[in-house]
Amino acid sequence: MANTETALKEALASIEGATGAALVDYTSGMALGTIGGSKTFDLNVAAAGNTDVIRAKIRTMEHLGLKAEIEDILITLTDQYHLIRLLTGRGGNGLFLYLVLDAKRANLAMARHQLKRIEESLEV
Amino acid sequence: MTHAVPPPRLPVRDRAAVPDPAGGGGVSPMLTRLAAERATGVLEREHGTLHLADGQVVHAESPFAPGLADLLLAHGTLAADAWRQAVERADEEHGAGRLLVEAGLVARGALEICHLGALYDAGYFALAPSSTPGRFHYGSGQLLGAVRPVTVAELERETLRRRALLHRLWPQPLADTAPLLRTTPRQAPVPATAPDARQRAVLALVDGVRTAPDIARALGRRAFPTLADVRRLAAAGLVAAKPPPSAPDPPPGITLPPVTDPDITLLKRLRDALEAL
Repeated sequence: MANTETALKEALASIEGATGAALVDYTSGMALGTIGGSKTFDLNVAAAGNTDVIRAKIRTMEHLGLKAEIEDILITLTDQYHLIRLLTGRGGNGLFLYLVLDAKRANLAMARHQLKRIEESLEV
Repeated sequence: MTHAVPPPRLPVRDRAAVPDPAGGGGVSPMLTRLAAERATGVLEREHGTLHLADGQVVHAESPFAPGLADLLLAHGTLAADAWRQAVERADEEHGAGRLLVEAGLVARGALEICHLGALYDAGYFALAPSSTPGRFHYGSGQLLGAVRPVTVAELERETLRRRALLHRLWPQPLADTAPLLRTTPRQAPVPATAPDARQRAVLALVDGVRTAPDIARALGRRAFPTLADVRRLAAAGLVAAKPPPSAPDPPPGITLPPVTDPDITLLKRLRDALEAL
């Protein structure tokens, strides 16, 4: 049973190439916890902005009549991967884990697998 | 052309009296001071209370925001009886939250997330601009127990972010607290602004009596996402805040004192002339 802080620490330590991670509430855009990041990469700003990405995707799926749930969203930049994993919580909270990876060092399949494991340990 | 004396200073708006909705810092100087002295106690403000321990915010309550119990009970995460028992058994050492986690009734992650959600929600209202000064009582007595304290700076930053976000969606703060009415948009909403499932649930409860916080409580949702949904619905022309019952007479304090300074009267005449062009 992990709290949010240890879950984020584990994400950064156990996922190869991870440079930052955040747990974000996408109904409000608030980062409930962040780890990593840098002066030039503000995870709080990234958290709030990616909330709009998720809202747009959920809305589009609703318009298309798709009933499936989003598992994760992958955004590839020239030098980074951004992985967004939506969490299915019992408390009615819409949350996502946000992971920033260095594209040169990361293994995407492994990162997805690890993120899923961390989600399970979080028990939200 | 002569060298004139420097013009009189133009009147500037008093920033302390009129808080800038998107401005930064200084939400509550009293809170900043309490944080600096690592105070423990309860800060009572007009729209809510903040509980401090060692200068950090451990709990917040507001009549406008559903509390932790509302959130935990609404979705069946916890049974009402279990919550009542935990609150009865709680003491200063073992808060109710900790008892529930130890008994295995609530996952630690779920408690933390619900607690943070309720804290920031109530904090948003507690730190809203108020007309009365806040009062601080030293001493503890908060039986929930510190789940995850947040610093005053974190709470202030998040509160300002929320104010700015709501202002960007629809710049009418009345929508936060006034009863809401359904309205018919002038044009059919384009798909990009059509309400989504969450917003449709909010819209279904708009009845001319309920306020946004009432709707949040009825749905077992947190206050802030509901405020954001209401403002998005207002921007789409589907909802409007009911104006206060009677338009009050303008308060006497607003009338400007007669101005006799020739420079200022000249500026005023110049302004009027420019506006008349």
